[in-house]
Amino acid sequence: MKKLRLLSGAALIATLIVAGASRADTISYADAVSALAKACGTDIKKFCTGLNLGNNQIQNCLEKNGGKVSPTCTSTLTSVTASIKQRQAAQIGFFKLCEHDAAEFCKGVMGEGNILACLLKTKRIDNGKCNQAITDAGWR
Amino acid sequence: MFLHRLRAGLALGLLIAAGPVAAQQLDDRQLITSLSQLSEAAPAIDVALLIEEANANVGKGVASQPNWSQLTHLAQLLVEIDFENDSVAIEPESYRTVGLIADALHHPNLMFYKFLVVGHTSSTGDAKHNLKLSQERADAIREALTTTFAVPPDRLYAVGVGQEMPVDAANPKAAANRRVQLINLGRAK
Repeated sequence: MKKLRLLSGAALIATLIVAGASRADTISYADAVSALAKACGTDIKKFCTGLNLGNNQIQNCLEKNGGKVSPTCTSTLTSVTASIKQRQAAQIGFFKLCEHDAAEFCKGVMGEGNILACLLKTKRIDNGKCNQAITDAGWR
Repeated sequence: MFLHRLRAGLALGLLIAAGPVAAQQLDDRQLITSLSQLSEAAPAIDVALLIEEANANVGKGVASQPNWSQLTHLAQLLVEIDFENDSVAIEPESYRTVGLIADALHHPNLMFYKFLVVGHTSSTGDAKHNLKLSQERADAIREALTTTFAVPPDRLYAVGVGQEMPVDAANPKAAANRRVQLINLGRAK
């Protein structure tokens, strides 16, 4: 596998996001990938040569070599995986959690994307579960 | 579930970047906006017919073929995803681009739509080999998106067209011809 080349800016942002991942904010796939490339790049080159991005091959490889990969890589992998799971759950949960608010505040709005845009403008949902789902889903 | 139809975009659904968008310039909002610009008159695309036309026209080009020519009417975006030489292994520096595509495909604007991944090569090398490699690379991108990045597999199609549809036809060997097209095929179900 060739040298990991990443924009330092993107990597920095990703690191900041990972650092905050224990709170409500969740990580995007793009930032998760960048964070892993930064924290695990050396280990991936050492233990996972020739594996492709699909089928969770790289994650599985890092987990399989858990005793050998760097502690930074292991902890990043753990936090990124947890954060992605939280985001996926919020994206799936959004429709149910926001159904009531959508019916109340966005009546007649057509299309999931337009309903989200309407909810984002609706201040009255600011403290509810729907609001939290939108944040966790990464849709702000 | 909100089962309403997304109101089709008003403008004719065309947004073709001048060249592939590199990861550092690409963000998921740009992806979502470009891919959401649906035309009311978007044609239905049969992926099997695209593959048939590509296989029947190796070295001759497919741009004027009935099914390939329809693709220009659909909302789409060009992205750059680099692969190791003569391999289906995605270069680590392109992982972020695949992640960005995944983020966009999980957004409510796009999450109920089907997409086609089209792999293109330049004319360097053998045309038949290029066709095969581009299909395998398009498959690898689809596989990454549908497994590691959890996009439902029934929303994604992959097709390779080798060197048969260059973006820079005057310079078929130009690097700009190596690219990935991401095309919105319309609402799923």
